[in-house]
Amino acid sequence: MKLWVKIIIAMFLGLVSGWVIGPKAEMLYPVGEVFLKLIGMIIVPLVLASMTVGITSIHDPKKLGRVGLKTLGLYFVTTVISIILGLTFAFIFSVGYGIDITPGQPLAEVEPMTLAQIFSNLIPINPFASLTTNANILQVIVFALFLGVAINFSGERGRPLLEIMESVSEVMYSLTSIVMEFSPIGVFAIMAWVAGRFEMSVLLSLAKFLSIYYVACLIQLFVVFGGLLVFIARLSPGPFFKGMWEAMTVAFGTCSSSATLPVSMQCVQENLGVSKNISSFVLPLGSTINMAGAAIFQGMAAIFISNAYGIHLDFLSIITVVITAVLSAVGAAGIPGSGILMLSAVLASAGLPIEGIGLLLGIDRIREMISAVVNSMGDAVVAVTIAKQEGELDELQYYDVQVAELEESEA
Amino acid sequence: MKLWLQIIIAMIAGIAVGALMRVTGFDAKVLLPLGTAFLELVRMLVVLLIFASMTLGITGVRDPKKLGRLGIKTLLFYFCTTVISIAVGITFATYFELGVGFSEEMANASLTITEPQSVSEIFVSMIPSNPFAALVSGNALQIIVFSIFLGVAINMSGEKGRPVMDAVESLADVMVQLTSIVMKFAPVGVFGIMAWIAGTMGLDKLLQLARFVLVYYFACLLFASVIFLGMIRLIAGLNPVRFVQGMWSAIVVAFSTGSSSASLPVSMKCIQENLGVSKNISGFILPLGSTINMNGTALFQGMAAIFVAQVYGIHLDMYSVLTIVITATLSAVGTAGIPGQGFIMLSVVLTSVGLPYEGLFMLAAVDRLRDMIGTVVNVMGDAVVAVTVAKQEGELDEMCYNQGLPELEGSEV
Repeated sequence: MKLWVKIIIAMFLGLVSGWVIGPKAEMLYPVGEVFLKLIGMIIVPLVLASMTVGITSIHDPKKLGRVGLKTLGLYFVTTVISIILGLTFAFIFSVGYGIDITPGQPLAEVEPMTLAQIFSNLIPINPFASLTTNANILQVIVFALFLGVAINFSGERGRPLLEIMESVSEVMYSLTSIVMEFSPIGVFAIMAWVAGRFEMSVLLSLAKFLSIYYVACLIQLFVVFGGLLVFIARLSPGPFFKGMWEAMTVAFGTCSSSATLPVSMQCVQENLGVSKNISSFVLPLGSTINMAGAAIFQGMAAIFISNAYGIHLDFLSIITVVITAVLSAVGAAGIPGSGILMLSAVLASAGLPIEGIGLLLGIDRIREMISAVVNSMGDAVVAVTIAKQEGELDELQYYDVQVAELEESEA
Repeated sequence: MKLWLQIIIAMIAGIAVGALMRVTGFDAKVLLPLGTAFLELVRMLVVLLIFASMTLGITGVRDPKKLGRLGIKTLLFYFCTTVISIAVGITFATYFELGVGFSEEMANASLTITEPQSVSEIFVSMIPSNPFAALVSGNALQIIVFSIFLGVAINMSGEKGRPVMDAVESLADVMVQLTSIVMKFAPVGVFGIMAWIAGTMGLDKLLQLARFVLVYYFACLLFASVIFLGMIRLIAGLNPVRFVQGMWSAIVVAFSTGSSSASLPVSMKCIQENLGVSKNISGFILPLGSTINMNGTALFQGMAAIFVAQVYGIHLDMYSVLTIVITATLSAVGTAGIPGQGFIMLSVVLTSVGLPYEGLFMLAAVDRLRDMIGTVVNVMGDAVVAVTVAKQEGELDEMCYNQGLPELEGSEV
């Protein structure tokens, strides 16, 4: 049985048993936690090693700069599109009207970081200190970048280090495969926990918001990302979604886009034929600064709360929402649960009450399921597009996915 | 001069100097930094030593499927005897109240320890969410779990995993060398600690430490004669006297070197030539056992953890005891058979339940004395499993096993 089939069965079983057991399903959570920690264990060494190796294989500094700028540009564009998509959907379906405003627990306001702060936070003062927290992944990326360039400058003498890095990244991919064997168990526990602690009344009152959010996410996934593939990368989108299927199920089942990173790196390289140097650079960067799913949520939630509180947003505050949301997506890099945390910065910038977040907290886990899928697919789409443009995409491999699938279904 | 002799001399000199300072009214505490510096050096080894030797140990098990029934049986025997040894250590220390009343000052320090709340919490906290963070904080269980996964992943990567494997191998060798360098300072450290104990605490504390060592010897002898010889008699159905006879030279080497790695070649020879275990079995079980099966060490860790808790007047609940058992079992796996590894690992066990690291001080002074019998138990434990498995697999030459026993031969005739 293929892994993703197992994951989907586990997801289904988890939801059902969580629903049957009720709040006591909480006791299954440690199992999910173990799984998430096991994946977390891979991320830093994987990013450090594969990114360093990726950088060393781009010998032309101009290419490095070009790929970097293009990645940032595409991330920026997709993030803005996501926020606008969220805003638009919220407007059209006028979410939030007639919601019973019962203030939840007061939340601490998160100050959006200034650009200067963001930049100074990028530089690691001590590489080992940066390696010790998964939240510092941006610093790890910056360190790997410098390390890769330095290894190249060292020529022959840099070889032993490069070989070790290459080997570490291979070992980390093997480790990913080992840990993924446990994914059905982990997904089962997480889903049972999600379903078990869920109150039907909360779900019903927010059903409209949630379903519109899911629709918006699906549109982002298939129309925006699909369009990007067709018009900019000039590739058929079918193989992309088939190749990424496993990563998508993992993201959906774990509610975590960063937990999906090791899997999507494998999918992008092995199923879609993206070269290692592009994917090892674009995906880790995207996993921290590009969160298309979270961006849709921020746009949508801003309108939801303004409607719920009957506060009218003028055009200028909407622009402010877009800008703050983009900046906070970068600044939130690596803060766990950042979607909901950074929302407070966005709300504050538009003069909306932060307490409004309390209204949406109840559905946060269910929202994060699809959000994680959109977040990680957003990175993969950019990786494929850039690989295609830079001639680093093995198109035979890209389309092979489809051939293999067809052969299998014929047999 | 041999290291163990130096250490014994240092112990005696430390006691003499400490007693002299006590009589003449000097504060013997000034000598304590010698001991502290030595223990800090030891602490420096722990993290990398566990990481490297554990990863290497796992990569040694190439293919879990090829390991097969024999391997699983061996691991199961090792696991059971290790857990029993820890339990014996805990029981003896609790029964004899080895650490109670050691020091008023320490017992009144009213330390609070971080107790895990539940079994599932223990397991969740064993998994590192970031390997570098685990290395920095020195969380041994997390390092061990990461090393296990890393070792399996290295094996899975085949040729591409070689550079990492080579690096880990080299690190492990370097760490073993580093350990023997650090151990050269052991006489100085032992001198400092002994002088401090003799000078500030007096004779009765020394006697209490001596009692710890005596009870340890007693527990080891009892463990070896009941569990080991019982296994030979009841599970393997062989004569236990002949086993001790055949292993005698390995026992002597282990007692005098305090290193189960150093005794490996001798016990290999004993078990093949005197006890008639086939080369297949002994070549697989003994080297594996010398790295992952340490019954004497495990017994010490259980005993020492309770001792330290009693010294500090800390009550350990069930979860803490469970954590001690898990940590002691796994850390026994994660050490190479080098002298001094017993109390290097003890620091890991102590910190796992939040017991004060300083509790090591008193035990470090007498560690060499107790390590001698501990190594004998380590070595015997491997041999017992080898003989038992060999017998069950039909790989034991019983003629050879029984040849040194005239009375048995006589009864056969």
